[in-house]
Amino acid sequence: MKMSNNSKSEEEIQNLRRNLEEIKAREGVLGYILRASTSAAVDIKDPSKIIGYAALSASVLESGEEISKIFNLGEIKTILLEGADTKILSLITDDHRLSIFMEKKFDHKELYADLSLS
Amino acid sequence: MSKEVFVTALNNSLKEIRNICPDIKCSFLFTKDGTLVAEDALTDDIAMEKAMSPLQNLTEKAVMIGDLDSFLIDGSKGKVYISYTNEIYLAMVLSNDADMLYLRSVTHVIIPTILKLLETVFPTPAKPQKLDSSLQLFVDNLSGLRSRFIGDTVEIGHETRNQLLDLLNGGDVNEVEIEAFNGKKARCKVKEIEDSELEKKSLIRIPEKTIQALEVKKGELVKVRPITSKDLNVASKELKKEESPDYNYDIISTFGESQSVMWRILKK
Repeated sequence: MKMSNNSKSEEEIQNLRRNLEEIKAREGVLGYILRASTSAAVDIKDPSKIIGYAALSASVLESGEEISKIFNLGEIKTILLEGADTKILSLITDDHRLSIFMEKKFDHKELYADLSLS
Repeated sequence: MSKEVFVTALNNSLKEIRNICPDIKCSFLFTKDGTLVAEDALTDDIAMEKAMSPLQNLTEKAVMIGDLDSFLIDGSKGKVYISYTNEIYLAMVLSNDADMLYLRSVTHVIIPTILKLLETVFPTPAKPQKLDSSLQLFVDNLSGLRSRFIGDTVEIGHETRNQLLDLLNGGDVNEVEIEAFNGKKARCKVKEIEDSELEKKSLIRIPEKTIQALEVKKGELVKVRPITSKDLNVASKELKKEESPDYNYDIISTFGESQSVMWRILKK
């Protein structure tokens, strides 16, 4: 699957969901939020953090898109936000917006490769 | 050191960093509250100002993960990388093939070193200005749920409280009078909290309702004076003068050196 605004087939999205199921089981991955235009899949290991993570995910993606437009960065490939002990990898594919939450020490590059998005 | 010299030194530092890292298209420094501190000459002022709002939004939301440490947008035509160091954010617009490892190592060494050097050579005016009977502090707003529960209490740091105690020459500081430069005043209870930001920036965190009453904004200076027992005596006399035809007021007791007075309302 290629990161672009081209239409993604339902099969590719299903494939992404399958990969996410596998990824979220890994130690150090805290969960993910996958939003489409009319639906969302939220799978966060600590339920008390769902609301906070959802707000942060939306903020990361919105701020990322806005800043990308301001500085003419072109199409967004990835957005990475790192905090004190947690990091978030966000991606935009078609009308799907994905944020994966993980421990800071977790290798996000390896995770990105395993999503089979490129 | 004057603000201008500090900013010029940082602007020049950003320019020099760009000289050794040609992948940097432009860069700027900003604080958590969205204040631009410095920029290199190639930074588009309009773009930078537009970016402050989403950046501030992001830094506020990042509290959820222990504050923003770094932020990277990887686009098809370039990148934006933001990193936090010494209470300041460095934002860099980079070319597409920028070597992130090299940039990280350069910026994580150079910027903190420059900031530390500037602070050592020219200490910044972080301490509250002491007036005869009051301190000048910067307004910070106390919002959200905490503001609802805290009532008319303001928050100050430990050092600021000590400075207020010095003004009192004894006793305790449990209540202060805040005076805005427009002359509006408010009296609030005081709570000391552990917060390095309050100390370093000489802040007084005031509930939104009181901010509105004082007609001040975040970042403005206010005069803060500890309430003394003398003030309370004057207040009690004033209150006696304004006795209601139906009721008398009587002081039952006072608490501490300069604090609360318990009133008894007596029917005539």
